Amino acid sequence: MNNSEILEVAIKASVEAGKILMQNFEKNNSSFNIKESLRDISTEIDTMAEDTIIKILKKFDDEITIYTEEQGLVNDKSKNKYWIIDALDGTVNYINKIPFFCVSIAFVKDDKVETSAIFVPYFNDLYFAARGIGSFKNHQALKVGDCNFSDSLFAVSFSGKNHEPEMRKKEFELLGEVNDSSRGCLRTGSAALNLALLAEGSFDGSWGKANKYWDIAAGLLIAELAGNKLKKKMISKDNFLCSFIISKPSILKEITNKVQSKLKLF
Amino acid sequence: MKKKVLIYGAGAIGRGYLPWVYKPEFYEYYFVEKNKQIRDLLNSRKKYNSYMTIDGQYEKKTFELKICYSPGEEINELNNFSFICIAVGPRNFHNLIDNFIGTNIPIICFENDSSLSEKMKKITGNQNVVFGIPDVITSNTASDKFLKEDPLSIITENGECFIDDKVNHLGGECSYISKSELDIQWKAKLYIHNTTHCIAAYLGNLIGAKYLHNSMESEKIYKIVEGAMLEIKKMLSLRFKIKNDFLDYYSKKELSRFSNSKLYDPIARVAREPFRKLAKNERLIGAASLCLASGVVPINIIKGIIAAFCFEKEGDSDYYIKYLINSLEINDFLSIIIGLRKHEALFQLIVNNWDENLNEIKNLRNE
Repeated sequence: MNNSEILEVAIKASVEAGKILMQNFEKNNSSFNIKESLRDISTEIDTMAEDTIIKILKKFDDEITIYTEEQGLVNDKSKNKYWIIDALDGTVNYINKIPFFCVSIAFVKDDKVETSAIFVPYFNDLYFAARGIGSFKNHQALKVGDCNFSDSLFAVSFSGKNHEPEMRKKEFELLGEVNDSSRGCLRTGSAALNLALLAEGSFDGSWGKANKYWDIAAGLLIAELAGNKLKKKMISKDNFLCSFIISKPSILKEITNKVQSKLKLF
Repeated sequence: MKKKVLIYGAGAIGRGYLPWVYKPEFYEYYFVEKNKQIRDLLNSRKKYNSYMTIDGQYEKKTFELKICYSPGEEINELNNFSFICIAVGPRNFHNLIDNFIGTNIPIICFENDSSLSEKMKKITGNQNVVFGIPDVITSNTASDKFLKEDPLSIITENGECFIDDKVNHLGGECSYISKSELDIQWKAKLYIHNTTHCIAAYLGNLIGAKYLHNSMESEKIYKIVEGAMLEIKKMLSLRFKIKNDFLDYYSKKELSRFSNSKLYDPIARVAREPFRKLAKNERLIGAASLCLASGVVPINIIKGIIAAFCFEKEGDSDYYIKYLINSLEINDFLSIIIGLRKHEALFQLIVNNWDENLNEIKNLRNE
């Protein structure tokens, strides 16, 4: 089993799950559950799409562990390698009929993301990457250039968990500070999509504090292999919480200084 | 006094063909080449052998060059040249445009994309940028025997070169023609030549052929290529009212040159970058769409398109096409990767005949 075979199954699973999301996107009958916060919700469509992915991944190799957002640990068989998936990243957008949502699938080996795919079904855009192969959107190889901080557009991903008010205040202060010293700082509601857009150069940098790893694992690889520089730290392996800063190489130092001065991620 | 010509790209057209157009008696050659190996060889030897196939025989010439620059080294020297030729491939072309902002030196763009010269003219403000069509097949390599004698050996056909008559003062063994005549030549080149040339290459790649003439030796491939050419001819006649006599002459010439066993035209070169050739307005999808829009069903072109989907070549910049075609259903591949819409006739035609066509072209391997 090599990276190209894994990549092929990740691509297939992401697109098949994306079809389920699109089939139900216009319908207004999706029930949802609130999880850790008002923004952390899941729908029955999440689960349907997740089941589709699990089925495809297990058919490919039934001996690999799968971590999912909704069902947690599935198929607990392998120690040093696993799939980590979010069948619907951007659920709030999805239920509000905002088309910024996607499927995110990553394959991790020895704590390193090796292969990943993100499918954005509304826009029919497929992002994928594998170590030793590269980073791509649809038929195009992705390679980011450089930029100045003041000309840069950023995206931030807040944790779905409820933080203590003091920390949340600092996160908003940071957002405002970056927003006012650059082209802007957006919160799109999908961390995976932020990173996909960073990979193709629409965003220039992104950061997240205590993000769920299934939201960002795939996107971090796609963005990194497109030429962005990454700093990350797993806060909790058990809860799959990860903080990160990633940007075009020329602005990494500046954005890191700003983020660190407020949040001390690393 | 000899004219100094700066040639961007010391590959097939740049090194292999242009010195036959601009002969050494009247022109001095300066190259810009990013491939270090070729650059070093050119700079150390200062000459190379070029062979032209004429009536089944080779005519050999040894061309001398002054220097081969690494990209960027030539910038400060631009005003010293009489004119510039560019033959670097469309993907590399865009990186060069900024070099010529504010210049007025004649620049002939020998690229397989007629829009590029207009784009360069617009961005640089240089009104002396023109389009040129090298109607020729030039290999970027040669037979082992020739390569042993000189690793820079290169083989070209005895082709024709058409250039916008705006720069006819530059001379050379070529035809300077009006924009309307150039447009007819371009349509014939773009569709009759380019489309069927790459179809022959993609089909040849499937059977493991190394050179284009090996591909054309297969009776089934020859038939598909010939069929695709017929579809293109019908489309050009119906849509652009190009005269049948010219189209017949052009097609016959192409079939004969694809089969030229003296050329050693590598399939890896012709088939490279399949996604570029599969772009919506390009030689494969674009040609098939135009056929359909003209009432011609592109049965054979579609076989070529499917062969392009199946292209596998380690080292090609679009080699990842195989991961996509292996993992996606054909309708997803067409809509996500190729950008065809489900209601389009070409989409339907490919999907509805997918299994049958795929089996047919995969069975070519067993011929």
